[in-house]
Amino acid sequence: MKTMAEELFKEFREHSVSEFFRKNAAMLGYTGKIRSLTTVVHEGVTNAIDAAEEAGVLPKIFVAIKRINEEPEHFKVVIEDNASGIPEEYIPNVFGKMLAGTKLHRHVQSRGQQGIGVSGSVMFGQITSGKPTTVITSTGNGEIIRADVMIDVNRNEGKVMNAKKLKGKWRGTRVEVEAKDVTYMRSRYGPFNYLRMTAIANPHIHITFVEPDGKLTIFEHATNEVPERPKPMPLHPWGIMSDDLLVLAKHTKGRTMASFLATELSRVSKRKAKDVLNLSGVKVNKKPAELTWEEAEHIVSAFKQVKLIAPPTSGLRPIGAADIKNGIRQILRPEFTYATTRSPKVYRGGLPFIVEAGIAYGGGAGKTVEGKDEGEEIEIEAGMELIRFANRAPLIFDQGGCAITSAARNIDWRRYGVDVSAAPLTLFVNVVSAYVPYTSAGKQSIAEEPEIFDEIRSTVMDVARELRRFIYRKIRVKEQHERAGVFEQYLPVIARKAASLAGTKQPDIKPLLKKVTGVESEEES
Amino acid sequence: MSRVKKKVRARDRVHKRRADEKLAGLGKAVIEDILHTRPPKLKIPSRSTANIIYDETSRYFVLGSRYGVRSAGSMKQVKKFAQLMCAADFSKELIESKKLATLREMYYTAEGWDAGPFRDQGESDGNIEDLEATFGLKREDLGLTPEEDGAAVYGRLVVNEEGVVIDATKAGRGGYTIPPTIDDVELARCKAKRVIAIETMGMYHRLVQEKAWKKFDALIVGLKGQAARATRRFLKRAHEELGLPIHLFCDGDPFGFHIAMVIISGSAKLAYINHELAVPDAQFIGVTASDIVDYKLPTDKLRELDVNRLKQLQKDPRYNTEFWQGEIKKMLELGKKAEQQAFSKYGLSYVVKEYLPAKLGLKG
Repeated sequence: MKTMAEELFKEFREHSVSEFFRKNAAMLGYTGKIRSLTTVVHEGVTNAIDAAEEAGVLPKIFVAIKRINEEPEHFKVVIEDNASGIPEEYIPNVFGKMLAGTKLHRHVQSRGQQGIGVSGSVMFGQITSGKPTTVITSTGNGEIIRADVMIDVNRNEGKVMNAKKLKGKWRGTRVEVEAKDVTYMRSRYGPFNYLRMTAIANPHIHITFVEPDGKLTIFEHATNEVPERPKPMPLHPWGIMSDDLLVLAKHTKGRTMASFLATELSRVSKRKAKDVLNLSGVKVNKKPAELTWEEAEHIVSAFKQVKLIAPPTSGLRPIGAADIKNGIRQILRPEFTYATTRSPKVYRGGLPFIVEAGIAYGGGAGKTVEGKDEGEEIEIEAGMELIRFANRAPLIFDQGGCAITSAARNIDWRRYGVDVSAAPLTLFVNVVSAYVPYTSAGKQSIAEEPEIFDEIRSTVMDVARELRRFIYRKIRVKEQHERAGVFEQYLPVIARKAASLAGTKQPDIKPLLKKVTGVESEEES
Repeated sequence: MSRVKKKVRARDRVHKRRADEKLAGLGKAVIEDILHTRPPKLKIPSRSTANIIYDETSRYFVLGSRYGVRSAGSMKQVKKFAQLMCAADFSKELIESKKLATLREMYYTAEGWDAGPFRDQGESDGNIEDLEATFGLKREDLGLTPEEDGAAVYGRLVVNEEGVVIDATKAGRGGYTIPPTIDDVELARCKAKRVIAIETMGMYHRLVQEKAWKKFDALIVGLKGQAARATRRFLKRAHEELGLPIHLFCDGDPFGFHIAMVIISGSAKLAYINHELAVPDAQFIGVTASDIVDYKLPTDKLRELDVNRLKQLQKDPRYNTEFWQGEIKKMLELGKKAEQQAFSKYGLSYVVKEYLPAKLGLKG
């Protein structure tokens, strides 16, 4: 079974880079005038975050989009980070060689695209504007390098031009990509919303954003801790299939079936491996390379009959309920927020995943930023806003075909006291896995794997239940206020009229008022 | 004459004083509760149909023992409670200033109340009905009067409307019009020996023209259909204060029967105040089903509506007498009904010359 990435690699070797890029532009996110610009920002920001996290510093990112020559579809995107910087000799490889740093053969939870990354942006800029990408970087050694990078499409190599060395005490990398045929818009699909969602899902990141009209937005970081980096991890037997087992058997260093299973699979001890082999009727000392399809099938079904420890989560890096809440609070300033991170589950390929969800009510929640043109922003209360993430990376496009969307819609929100068409609500869902089953290479929507769908649904229901409690509490408080108001209005009238009827002084109504309004529904009939 | 006058004045004073005392008592009870930090509560006799009972002894509808509690400590009721207090205070002002207001006027006055305005006239009226039922007093005692005039009286009666003396034989052909404020009117002098109340104004004028009032020593009262509250008060006072027997002459159909019955036994709707309105001794003289046969009256066929109504009356406790059951049964069997004016078959004077003397037992 070949992955999409393996297909890509193959294609890449057979065609020139520029041809490859043009053919696959849509898959790589460079399609449509708004989306292309968002993708440039995404690649740059992803690179910046990864670099800073790998360097163990809190990412502080500056993004600016500038209009060039007053032309409507000509922009420069500037992305600057505070990471370790790039040594001069690596510049051509990092920015000029496509598919250079791919990690796709590893089962690792990663933010980025197909490893085409920032070099795709360089390529896109080069194709549309004809201009090189400017890179300014320093490792903090007092020397700042400024260089223009272009991709030699025939050789798939980075070409560095106009390299200059400057003196200066600074560390980080600044990339400036110039692109044409793109449009800036403050819509759900535009860079603003992309950065807003990134900020929510990454409360440790500080983002400064300058829009073409000069409007400055700062997404402050809400925590000071750099999350742990994800690690590669082996497959777990729960979801493994016969062909996975066969592929592993061909490459293993284990000499016997028992040692093969124990080394290549997660949570399988030698003893467990022997149990499973005995159950499946496969010889413990058989050479893995001689494993047949039938035997693999027996082993797969035998694994279902033994007890195993749940898949390891060491490679999984959920945001965590506390940080989801931090991010939501920081960016949306809601009246209420709740988040939950569920325990790891496993789906088809034996791969674990985690679903986490957060919910925000009131404040800036549910207010998606929409605008017809740059600068002209209109805040619309559009009811429930769903923000989707895979491994903390915002999923912005292809919302309709996504398992997150269908699972969220599958819930009867009225049961939770929510009118999805009007409630000031933001629902946050992050699917964490080393192998998120995207529906397409665009990596913008998650396939409806039954286990994943169910898990998303359960997770969303968890947070919806908490929301319901909040909403009902809110209604109760409101009722109590209304109740107090009614008594404050009418009890004095009763006292006044009673005094008039009796021909006496007005009695002090305050003690009774306090008693009646303070006690909840004691007197209700 | 002066004896009657004193009695009327005394009665009026007593009623007003009772209203005053009840209103002050309400105020005091509410203040007492407030001072004890208890939400004031009011027991109001229930006016729902379940609590309307036919009292065999007094022979009219009365309220049962059920009551509703209105609490100022209930969010749903505190506004209604305040409205009731406003209505009570409005009543107190009316009594003190010796003014009378209609329910409609109160409804509009309530626009300016602290607990107002009312949603509709019905809600406004409900407050007065609550006070009437709670205190056992008529709205007239609380300074409120019905809208419409009562009917007309013709005969040897002199009334005194606060100094204006009116002779009911000299008030024009239409007779003396019973005002809504009939309770304040002094029935100063009366030479009549009975009252004949007539359903239709056509028959009323016939009797006036034929000088029936003279012939029968009677006060002729035109009811104009279903008797107004003021008319019923007049009949009740004529019976109780002047000691006159009341005779009721209505159409010979279920609706005529019921016009008479409401005067006799009161309506269910006003059960809480029937002791001030009902005249259980009033007597229905006709047109009966037997009259239709005996006098061979021209008739109409009973419509479906009439039949259904008669069947309802059969089950009504107020009609649970031999006389009524017999007449209803007979009418159903005949399948016919007749109007008062059907007697004109025998000439315009027939009803005065023949029918009424026979019915009143005056035929010599």
